[in-house]
Amino acid sequence: MSQVQARFFTENTKYLIDDVPFSIPAASEVVDLSGVINKLLEAKNDGHKHVEFDFLVRGQFLRTSLANHMETENISTEEVVEIEYVEKFTAPQPEECIMHDDWISSVEADSEWILTGSFDKTARIWSMEGKAVMTVAGHTDVNLFNGLSSLLLTASLDQTIMLWEWNSERNKVKARHCCRGHAGSVDTVAVDPTRTKFCSGSWDKMLKIWSAVPTEEEDEIEEPNRPRKKQKTEQMGLTRTPLMTFSGHNEAVSSVLWMDAEELCSASWDHTIRLWDAETGGQKNTITGSKVFSCISYSPLCRRLASGSTDRHVRLWDPRSKDGYLVLLSLTSHNGWVTAVRWSPSHEHQLVSGSLDNVVKLWDTRSCKAPLYDLAAHEDKVMCVDWTENGLILSGGADNKLYTYRYSACVSDAGA
Amino acid sequence: HSSKRSLTKIYAYGHDQDQRKFWLALILTSVTLQDIRNTVGNIPMEWYKDYPHIGYDLDGKKIFKPIRNKDELDEFLDKMENPDYWRTVQDKMTGADIRLSDEQVDLVHRLQEGKFGDVNFNEYEPAIDFFSNEVMIHPVTNRPQDKRSFIPSLIEKEKVGKLVHAIKMGWIKPRRPKETTPQYYDLWAKEDPNSILGRHKMHVPAPKLKLPGHEESYNPPPEYLMSEEERLAWEQQDPEDRKLSFLPQKFACLRAVPAYSRFIHERFERCLDLYLCPRQRKMRVNVNPEDLIPKLPKPKDLQPFPTTQSLVYRGHSSLVRSISTSPSGQWLVSGSDDCTVRFWEVSTARCLKTVEVGGAVKGVAWNPNPSICLVAISYDDTVVLLNPGLGDRLVSTATDQLISSYEEPEEVKEQPVQWTVAEGEGHEQGHRLILKHPKAVRQVTWHGKGDYLACVMPDNGSSLQVVIHQVSKRRTQNPFRKNKGLVQCVSFHPIRPYFFVATQRYVRVYNLIKQELTKKLMANCKWISSMATHPGGDNVICGSYDCRLAWFDLDLSTKPYKVLRHHKKALRSVAYHRHYPLFASGSDDGSVIVCHGMVYNDLLQNPLIVPVKVLKGHTITHDLGVLDVTFHPTQPWVFSSGADGTVRLFT
Repeated sequence: MSQVQARFFTENTKYLIDDVPFSIPAASEVVDLSGVINKLLEAKNDGHKHVEFDFLVRGQFLRTSLANHMETENISTEEVVEIEYVEKFTAPQPEECIMHDDWISSVEADSEWILTGSFDKTARIWSMEGKAVMTVAGHTDVNLFNGLSSLLLTASLDQTIMLWEWNSERNKVKARHCCRGHAGSVDTVAVDPTRTKFCSGSWDKMLKIWSAVPTEEEDEIEEPNRPRKKQKTEQMGLTRTPLMTFSGHNEAVSSVLWMDAEELCSASWDHTIRLWDAETGGQKNTITGSKVFSCISYSPLCRRLASGSTDRHVRLWDPRSKDGYLVLLSLTSHNGWVTAVRWSPSHEHQLVSGSLDNVVKLWDTRSCKAPLYDLAAHEDKVMCVDWTENGLILSGGADNKLYTYRYSACVSDAGA
Repeated sequence: HSSKRSLTKIYAYGHDQDQRKFWLALILTSVTLQDIRNTVGNIPMEWYKDYPHIGYDLDGKKIFKPIRNKDELDEFLDKMENPDYWRTVQDKMTGADIRLSDEQVDLVHRLQEGKFGDVNFNEYEPAIDFFSNEVMIHPVTNRPQDKRSFIPSLIEKEKVGKLVHAIKMGWIKPRRPKETTPQYYDLWAKEDPNSILGRHKMHVPAPKLKLPGHEESYNPPPEYLMSEEERLAWEQQDPEDRKLSFLPQKFACLRAVPAYSRFIHERFERCLDLYLCPRQRKMRVNVNPEDLIPKLPKPKDLQPFPTTQSLVYRGHSSLVRSISTSPSGQWLVSGSDDCTVRFWEVSTARCLKTVEVGGAVKGVAWNPNPSICLVAISYDDTVVLLNPGLGDRLVSTATDQLISSYEEPEEVKEQPVQWTVAEGEGHEQGHRLILKHPKAVRQVTWHGKGDYLACVMPDNGSSLQVVIHQVSKRRTQNPFRKNKGLVQCVSFHPIRPYFFVATQRYVRVYNLIKQELTKKLMANCKWISSMATHPGGDNVICGSYDCRLAWFDLDLSTKPYKVLRHHKKALRSVAYHRHYPLFASGSDDGSVIVCHGMVYNDLLQNPLIVPVKVLKGHTITHDLGVLDVTFHPTQPWVFSSGADGTVRLFT
């Protein structure tokens, strides 16, 4: 087998070539194929510049020689092989390294600001250029962070969630509400797509839904030491109680997210991922794994859940499937617990994962054997990752550093 | 004429060509030389080859051979010139040449053509056929028929009468009908095929004689010859025990070998062997040695159990003697020789709190009751109850309230331990109660309910080795009046009011309510180092300094149900998992061995113990490896603390 019949196609109209089968050497690798495509394009239009391509055979990235790949994938060499080519994703470029005073426990970014929570009991707001804009101190313990434009949420080991209002022009932060009700450290918060509610998950096995709209009223709660609380409200904002409490997990809730306005998804230490109806509080589906889930992420683009657990695998699940044990795909390359996963907001195949082995990995689900890129900047455990719409990957870790990477490939790919 | 006749006859006999020639020669002899007939008879004539005569005539005179002086040339000339040469033959009897007459030549020709010698003889003369198939009116013979051919035979009548009489009398029976079954049959048809096979299989050949070896040679190699001592030893041996039944001897030549004196004896023994040989096949049991090993399930099937090192909790600067997890599994406490106690978050390996105490920490124990947030820490002669303030705030404040709400009883008893409430800086750090003991405390352990706390103060000379504190009433009692050996560690029964006390070689089980000794377990080891109780309460494991781990089934016996010797060095710590069927042991060789230890509810089924994993990670420092192991309360994870100042989590 020295020659293989192949037909190349692409969805990117910029790089269209004639739809005729070519006979190419079976031993050719990505670089060779890329050269072939480039030559064809040069012949077609004069002003063509050299572009590196990546190749997909039956939805799987070509990583070895074509012959090898077809043998492992069980593709017949008799027929014409359909090969899709896409522009090669360029490596993420490191941009900033933002130093913190302590371990970074969470990171959240939008197109303008970066919010980080740290183990030094503060939350910080940074500009995209890495300038410290604001330090939000108020918690007595480690912070988690979640933002909704001018309203910020911090959840802490001290069992409370604080709702802050931040005026970016005057650069002032005011605590509006202190959400009390959890009986354990609050490990995760998530704001619903309508931005009127948020959900929190805690070590006390509960999920609670709170209102995210700041008001001037204080919710009444029965607390034994009333005077102490009264005294605190001045600095800590008004106390708020949960709208709803979901119980069902047998262990701590490690991660929670909204799949849409009505549906919640939570991952727990009891080896399950549960889907909840946010209106009624009923359980809709349970995905049972074999290890503690430490983080989950949902992509509305491909409708898949990605989970990181206390082993080295990133697993993909179909939240709609009734068979709750089926792992769609296992991405294995990390050497430690996967502490954070995040789907790309713009690309349906890409996700990023952080692990205790100090490495952040960028994955494409079409190449499940090896990640696209390893981002090995951290010197200690990676605790959190995030991915913004404008192609910025952020990762924070136990080395007190927040790294940002510019990742531009998704812009040119698929016309996004 | 007569000779012609005989010739014809002769011809009729001999059809063979050679025979014919022979007879012809004979006839010619008799015909032509009537007068000089030779009397030598029918003898080979070459007998007279060397004589001048050729025989004797009727008168007894020699017949001399005719003078033959013809040479080849004469012969040839004769052949050319003599017109009768072709019909001239030599008579062998006389040696004379005879010229055959015309009749004779004709006769020879006829014979050669295969015809009768007689010209007039017709072999196909017409013949009259008397005995033909045609019936003639006249008989061939004219003899009249005999009379007896008309009269019935009397003898026959007599014979028939006799037979008829015999039949009538029943002497002759009618012939029996012939049996239809075939006379032959399948000899082996009814035989059990197995027996045939068996017969062939079970054939035992006569035992073979041993082939003679070099030692039996008349001139054996010197190494086969016995030395003097060997010979003496051979002679002193019982004949049955001897390896050789004879003494190898050396002779100068085969001629010098004497007759073998034991020949008859040996033949006899051989015959006896053949005769008395038990002709029975010994049924050798073919057992695969691997089948004898008890079938253990594969470790792969016994998951989950910890397999890899996941997190390392770094921060201590000296050996970490003791670790303990919070009942929720979120926190871990470790006590070290660097005089600090550290609190860690399990999932991130973050040190959340460091509390300094006044001495090297020997033991830490987190209160197992989830509604009380207290950690017991022992250093030197002090036990501190510390509220770390981790976990639920309400629980933490409730614990503080519980301790502060204590009211002094009216009559104060004399107690062996001094209780004081921590104040000032100590209180800020979380210290709540300080218990001053008379001696150094080695181990602290909580009762499952979280109110009682047992402390061990090993001391061989005193009876005050174990004290049990009640935290809510701040009371201390000494449960044992007598000293029964150096106490190593103690443990509460998880369900029933039993108390386990491990001394150097025994584990004693006391009933705390009846205040009596229930059982005494013999560990079969030299020095017990650690002990753990199964959450079901019926099984206990003991680690010892002589590398053994003994599993006791309290229902079974006071001896260990199983002793595991997997570690290469002294065991320092053993632990059971609260939910999973797992137990672990840490040793000075730096490894933690995790075993699957399934205890069945069925009393008839013994516990299943399978070693599943050796976990290595700790570096050996000062000849010490792992000092303490403990399981995560909910997950199949094991923590180990080592002399290298780290705590490691294996998942």
